Amino acid sequence: MAHQAHSYHMVDPSPWPILGAAAALLTTSGLAMWFHYHSTQLLALGLLSMLLIMLQWWRDIVRESTFQGHHTPAVQKGLRYGMILFITSEAFFFLGFFWAFFHSSLVPTPELGGQWPPTGISPLNPLEVPLLNTAILLASGVTVTWAHHSITEANQKQAIHALTLTILLGFYFTALQATEYYEAPFSIADGVYGSTFFVATGFHGLHVIIGSSFLLVCLLRLAKFHFTSHHHFGFEAAAWYWHFVDIIWLFLYTTIYWWGS
Amino acid sequence: MWRNLLGLRQISQRTISTAPRRQLENRVAEKQKLFQEDNGIPVHLKGGLMDALLYRLTMGLTVFGTAYVIYELCVASMPKKQK
Repeated sequence: MAHQAHSYHMVDPSPWPILGAAAALLTTSGLAMWFHYHSTQLLALGLLSMLLIMLQWWRDIVRESTFQGHHTPAVQKGLRYGMILFITSEAFFFLGFFWAFFHSSLVPTPELGGQWPPTGISPLNPLEVPLLNTAILLASGVTVTWAHHSITEANQKQAIHALTLTILLGFYFTALQATEYYEAPFSIADGVYGSTFFVATGFHGLHVIIGSSFLLVCLLRLAKFHFTSHHHFGFEAAAWYWHFVDIIWLFLYTTIYWWGS
Repeated sequence: MWRNLLGLRQISQRTISTAPRRQLENRVAEKQKLFQEDNGIPVHLKGGLMDALLYRLTMGLTVFGTAYVIYELCVASMPKKQK
């Protein structure tokens, strides 16, 4: 078997990148079919294939790292850069929606009654469920840090407890937001208030679900002894993403929920 | 096809454990041995038969879906027949 004379990872040929691109094609075409022809088959097919590909691609990365040892310090450094760049791109994504919110709310048009919140809109009380949600996410930031410390101190049991608590807090947030969405006296169709509110908080909620899923995978890997006290980048990436989700919520809460009410 | 047969050979070499289920046992060493075996199988198929089945399912769905998209695109591009 030929051995490499460098510390980088030359991956085995893999079908997932091109199949992932095809799945993205199916999903976006599926959206177009749904919007224009009221057919959801293609969208369902696209989402299913996307799910299958994500599971297998990330499964392969776990194999390459934990089981084959390809994630040297040099490789890990690249992964760290990659995750930070990805999170930065997500920050810009949300920046756009905050821009839209401030564009409409700082100079409310006559059609809105020249005020913000617009005439006829009764905003949610920021001191009720939204404040609870803020406390939940802040607490989850503490518990995920606790989990990290437990991992570096090689305390398996405590790490599992802390990470489980983090995930449960994430689920609690999602459940509360779902009830808020259901009970809200306004909808996404209620002018620019509804649009900015539900698109910004909606995408945030999606990111909470993604982050919770990432943490859940980390919990399973933690339970299976994949992480060592010195090498657990998958967990660190999940924790970074989770902190990002928390910070976005803090911005959402202070601007849209509080200032905007 | 050879790779599938090699995969089957790998499964028959796994040991069955009768350890209690209260806490998961550390099976990482077994996995390391399985995935570091010098058999030329790429990582996405190296786990055994399930890998191959899942791969075929994913490939099948995606290829079918892509063909369907191209078909629907052709249909949508054609003018609707007037009465």
